[in-house]
Amino acid sequence: VLVHSLPLGLLYSYFHGKDNFCSFSFMQGSKLEIPLWLAKGLHDSKRRIISVELPKIYREAWRTVFSADANVVDLHKMGPYYYGFGSQLLNFDNPENPEIAQTILQTFISRFRRIMDSSQNAYNEDTSALVARLDELERALFRAGQKGLNDFQCWEKGQASQITASSLVQNYGKRKFTDVDG
Amino acid sequence: ISRQVLWCPSPHCYLGPFNPGLPVEVPVWLAINLKQRQKCRLIPPEWMDVEKLEEIRDQERKEDTFTPMPSPYYMELTKLLLNYASDNIPKADEIRTLVKETWDTRLAKLRLSADSFVRQQEAHAKLDNLTLMEINTTGTFLTQALDHMYKLRTNLQPSESAHSQDF
Repeated sequence: VLVHSLPLGLLYSYFHGKDNFCSFSFMQGSKLEIPLWLAKGLHDSKRRIISVELPKIYREAWRTVFSADANVVDLHKMGPYYYGFGSQLLNFDNPENPEIAQTILQTFISRFRRIMDSSQNAYNEDTSALVARLDELERALFRAGQKGLNDFQCWEKGQASQITASSLVQNYGKRKFTDVDG
Repeated sequence: ISRQVLWCPSPHCYLGPFNPGLPVEVPVWLAINLKQRQKCRLIPPEWMDVEKLEEIRDQERKEDTFTPMPSPYYMELTKLLLNYASDNIPKADEIRTLVKETWDTRLAKLRLSADSFVRQQEAHAKLDNLTLMEINTTGTFLTQALDHMYKLRTNLQPSESAHSQDF
């Protein structure tokens, strides 16, 4: 049985051969870093070609930290795709999967309030400190919250009724009139 | 949809039987337009009054549920009337402040409800008496967040088909 070690981050490191393709052979029991998509392809619960080593953030020690207070964790540093990658990890039949799935869900639930409050209250401010420790999914949510706030403020200021040129059109008319007359 | 009564001092009107000195109900857009052209004075809706709004604000702060608002467009009407006809509205500044305070309380309540909904992982929620303006301000965020939460919840099911291939 082959054992592969899968860290966070998924890359194309094995595919830079001289002729642009690569072959690698490995011995039983060796440890390798491979991209997630490749591991998923090799994974077969019946034949057990590979087994996956969990990145430490999904293991028990870190799971305990999350359940104590998920808000203190810097998910950007530990991720930045904590939720997405964690969900994909569940594809490999790891006995800890139920606990991992539960932790990921509970982490989202506990961090939800802060993301909502900060994104819906920070108007026209530097938000870099607020998003620094959010993973990418949370950052997208933060942006959605900001958009709601900004749209409301724009309406409140009366800017919503001002007609502005569409960004598409702004890019068209780069030619000057002198060019047209030729 | 008419929201207030309008008094036209002059008979220059092609749009209907406007008799000078007699109040008339017209659509908001027309009222604003006529006001901008200085052809009339606007009469605010009866809820746009300091005492009434104080009552509403205090009730909003006291209750956990949302107070039914006197108009589903209370924010929009307040903004329009205070922008274009504040001279026709007594204590306009106080009114502006009261409406804003009510709005802030309602939004805070909405976020509290959303957090409680998420924590308890409910499947359905019913929030009465919200206005569209409030829903739009938080709606995009909420629907996306709930969508993510739904996907994370399907992870809890052990069957392979539950795992999304393109998270």
